[in-house]
Amino acid sequence: MIKKVFEKPLSWFERIFFIDFIRGLSVTIRHAFSKTITTHYPYEKLTPPKRFRGFFGHKVVDGREPQPAFDEWVERFKIEVEPGRSRCVVCLLCKRACPVPQLFEIEGEKLPNGKRRVSVFNMNMLLCTFCGFCVDACPVDCLFQSDIHETASYSRKDSVLTLEVLERIGRDWQRRREKEPDRIWIDDAQRMRLWYENDLKLPEVKKQ
Amino acid sequence: MESLFVQLLVIGIKILVILGVVLGLGAYLTLVERKVAAHIQRRPGPMVVGWHGLLQPLADGLKLITKEDIFPRAGNRFLYNLALVLALVPAVLVFAVVPFGPEFEVFGVKVKPILTDVNVGLLLVFALGSMAVYAIALAGWASNSKYALIGSMRKAGIIVSYEVVITFAVMGPVILAGTLSTYEIVQQQINQKLWYIWLQPIAFVVYMFAMLAETGRVPFDIQEAEAELVTGFTVEYGGIKFGLFPLVEWYVEVLSLSAIAVVLFLGGWSPINIPFLGFIDPLFFLGPLSPFVWFILKVALLFLFVLWLHWTLPRYRIDQITETAWKVMLPLTFVNLVLTAVLAPIVWR
Amino acid sequence: MPWAKEEDFLELKKKFKDLQIEVKPTITNLHIPKHELIELLKELKQMGYKLFIDHSVVDFPDRSPRFQAFYILYNVDERKRVVVKTWTDGTLPSIEKLWFAGKWAERECYDMFGIQYEGHENLVRAFMWETYQYHPLRKDFPLEGYANEYLPSLNEVMWGENLQGLMNYDRMHTPVPTLEDLEITEKRRLKKKAQLVLNWGPLHPGTHGTMWFLFDLEGERVVQCDVILGQLHRGMEKLAENEMYNQFLVYTDRMDYISALCSNQAWVVAVERLLGIEDLVPEKAKYMRTMMSELQRINSHLLWLGTYALDIGALTIFLYAFKEREKLMDIIEGITGARLTISYPRVGGVRMDLPEGALEVIKAFVKRFPKELKDWETILSRNRVWLRRNVGVGIIQKEDVYFYGLTGAVARGSGVPYDIRKFEPYDAYPWVEFDVPVGENGDVYDRYLVRLEEMRQSLRIIEQCVSKLEKMPKSAPFFAESPDPKKLKLPLDGIGLKVPEGEIYSSGENPRGELGFYIYSTGGVKPYRVKIRPGSMYNLCVYPKLMKDRVIADAVAVLASLDPVVGEIDR
Repeated sequence: MIKKVFEKPLSWFERIFFIDFIRGLSVTIRHAFSKTITTHYPYEKLTPPKRFRGFFGHKVVDGREPQPAFDEWVERFKIEVEPGRSRCVVCLLCKRACPVPQLFEIEGEKLPNGKRRVSVFNMNMLLCTFCGFCVDACPVDCLFQSDIHETASYSRKDSVLTLEVLERIGRDWQRRREKEPDRIWIDDAQRMRLWYENDLKLPEVKKQ
Repeated sequence: MESLFVQLLVIGIKILVILGVVLGLGAYLTLVERKVAAHIQRRPGPMVVGWHGLLQPLADGLKLITKEDIFPRAGNRFLYNLALVLALVPAVLVFAVVPFGPEFEVFGVKVKPILTDVNVGLLLVFALGSMAVYAIALAGWASNSKYALIGSMRKAGIIVSYEVVITFAVMGPVILAGTLSTYEIVQQQINQKLWYIWLQPIAFVVYMFAMLAETGRVPFDIQEAEAELVTGFTVEYGGIKFGLFPLVEWYVEVLSLSAIAVVLFLGGWSPINIPFLGFIDPLFFLGPLSPFVWFILKVALLFLFVLWLHWTLPRYRIDQITETAWKVMLPLTFVNLVLTAVLAPIVWR
Repeated sequence: MPWAKEEDFLELKKKFKDLQIEVKPTITNLHIPKHELIELLKELKQMGYKLFIDHSVVDFPDRSPRFQAFYILYNVDERKRVVVKTWTDGTLPSIEKLWFAGKWAERECYDMFGIQYEGHENLVRAFMWETYQYHPLRKDFPLEGYANEYLPSLNEVMWGENLQGLMNYDRMHTPVPTLEDLEITEKRRLKKKAQLVLNWGPLHPGTHGTMWFLFDLEGERVVQCDVILGQLHRGMEKLAENEMYNQFLVYTDRMDYISALCSNQAWVVAVERLLGIEDLVPEKAKYMRTMMSELQRINSHLLWLGTYALDIGALTIFLYAFKEREKLMDIIEGITGARLTISYPRVGGVRMDLPEGALEVIKAFVKRFPKELKDWETILSRNRVWLRRNVGVGIIQKEDVYFYGLTGAVARGSGVPYDIRKFEPYDAYPWVEFDVPVGENGDVYDRYLVRLEEMRQSLRIIEQCVSKLEKMPKSAPFFAESPDPKKLKLPLDGIGLKVPEGEIYSSGENPRGELGFYIYSTGGVKPYRVKIRPGSMYNLCVYPKLMKDRVIADAVAVLASLDPVVGEIDR
């Protein structure tokens, strides 16, 4: 249970013939003639895993909403459902779950037909901690985190995600990655550059 | 009159060739080091500028030259710049006494590929080597920074102790050759059919360590020790001035001391040696170029070995370094001197 | 639970007439009037409660006396913990003679609550600068602070950018220290005795963060040394009082940012214990949390090894360690979605189930990793340079471990087998087998060996967890079901998680020592007071003593072997 750690002292033979140096040098030379493991970043990029917590997006209404939760919330808040537009039902749960609620600015508007719709949904990414509590809180699987991670910008303005931007990211995501399986990563060939020493063989990705 | 003119011309060409080769090579050795280090660390190193980063040194130089020249507020500007000159000039001057190959004839003019074959060449090397301590002490003092001061004091301490060690280490080959002229030492090794490393292994190991210490290479790179002192005495230098210090220390000096090591222990431009029997030259097909290739090959191998060590070992502490110098290496060189005195008659015959 | 029982203190009860013993399932308190406090602590120390864990106060602005101070002590031999409590209105006797670590804790209390300590040698502010007027952790200090300094944004001044709405930001700021303030702070810390005072930090590659060391140097020998902290102080404890229990997870990420999962786990376990739902958490979630935090431990130790070798000059090890670390990052990213600030565990389980292929990847990693470890050991462990730099440097005696409140690998390196995973097992640790490595001499080299061995033990734990998880069905729950959702809501997003009245001290074994949370709850969704016991901070407090009469080159070796992370020290 308790294990004492120790190392043997250097022997005189090792001292005189620099055996310790030679051992170390043999390791480094072995590495020097092995394959490099680098991904040349701006030229090559890894695809973040599906669970990656990057910039946010709004999934749009496309018939794949979680049922019956979506219909229940729509019923409750009398939401106007428009295909191709955000699924948001203006429940403000994301704002309540957020550790920094100041970053949300959410407003709904009343349409002439008496129904409601989200009109303003701003998220200030400069305040965000990317923890994902808002995603957990979203009852209709609308707010989600995408794989967008290169987010540098020239102005503070660009760090605020508006409803349009969120919807755009959402549409893009639904087109690109929504149907992916829940797998640890998806780009095996690129990851192999780092992992080739480990003899890693992941099961094939199931085609859907 | 004409012969004087020819001699001046020859010397002028030699100076240009040596300066060009040394400084150009020095710059390109940065690329070599970066590539070696990168591959040891499983990286590809510079890849963007030119094919496999071949133009990287030019880009680096351009960047360094165009950078702002910053000077510490309360520093001493004269000493600050003088340090730079004192670092660069002696390091390059050492190449004046490095023989690159045997005598050859061009257009009927006999040319020794050595700038000046003075009969106290080795003495000159170590005299110039000791000058480095002024550069470093001045750089540290003129920068008006505590980090720079500590770094320069450390380096000065090392140089003072290792100058003694290195001088005693080369005593062995000098006794065996019976001369201080670098050109003559190589000639003697060829005549005696013996690389002095076979008789002077202790001196060679001590020389190598002293060389690492003088040039501030791992495991003795405490003067820059980026973890504690950031970059030691160069911390207040900027732009190309900052670039010159490592260029001189890490490349030009390593190159010159490697060349001297080749001259003293590895038979200069001579091919592979079988002690007392003769030389085998697998590069005979190069004809008269073969000695030059041998010389460059040996220096390059030594340099690569230094890099290999640098990217493998940790570094000592200052007190441990000086302790090793005075308590281990210096006695070893004395032992070596005695051994040499016993063995010398075999070589002289 | 390793809390002392009432019968342990019957002897004491006879000696101290006013002593009240309060035993609750989550804590054991000894209440004592202030004038008898030092006597009681001395007695306890003699009884074997030698290891100082933590000290702070809780502010009750409506009561008189206003502050409740608590001292947490641990008996390593009998594995018992006890909390001593007393009430005060602003002064307390100093315990620095009994435990040096108390000195730092008292500085923090003085800084944050304005408590005056009688007999304290140099009572200076721990985190804020000396001329700062307020005591931020008092309940009457607003969360936003007092914004009374005009500081417009650079964009605004230089380019006339004028943003409105959500992008807008306040032009008025809370006070910031000026150069004069910092100079006063520095002068109060250290009276110059020798040749020159070297300011080592706040921004320096050797300090592993933004710490400000002052070395009074005689040549290269350090005559005296002190540390100025607070460059990364963000007021985590204040924030905790204003966040819901689950939401505070986000801040635990940012404390010890190198081992976020371990901090997450420690917090989550503390809240679960306070709720009394530790048994409700499904087995799968426990194994997953254990496995993930062991992966994180290796990850953290790899960063330590890399930077440590870098400090001692072996530049290549850094990249080798980062190569392996990158693989771990791939794993953690694939499972949790983030690389550094992870927030993966939740009160009651974990956020998501394991994705496809996760266990295969982890198995592949575990299989290869010992080989890499062997490589590094070949380069370092018996290298003569490495030995010269490490052996006999920064020796910590066994008694110092208790006196300075050291925990984690630092304590184990000195031969004290103090490991929370064994002493107070949480999650799946009681069900897995592993050894606790201990050193003999307590020098830098022993701490190095201990950490290397810890990585091996972590691999063992991961292997066992993986084989357990492989056998579990995919449909097994990873999140606790509340037995009575009306009484206790256990949501994944943390909205409406109500915690009953009570208090607890619960800790987890972080890679940098014991990370403890003292939670005082008055009921509701937010804690009343959270005191974080940062392992790094108490480990660091031995540093000035270790550096005495050593040269500046040892500063990096000793500091790196203590392995502090500033995010955790300053909080």
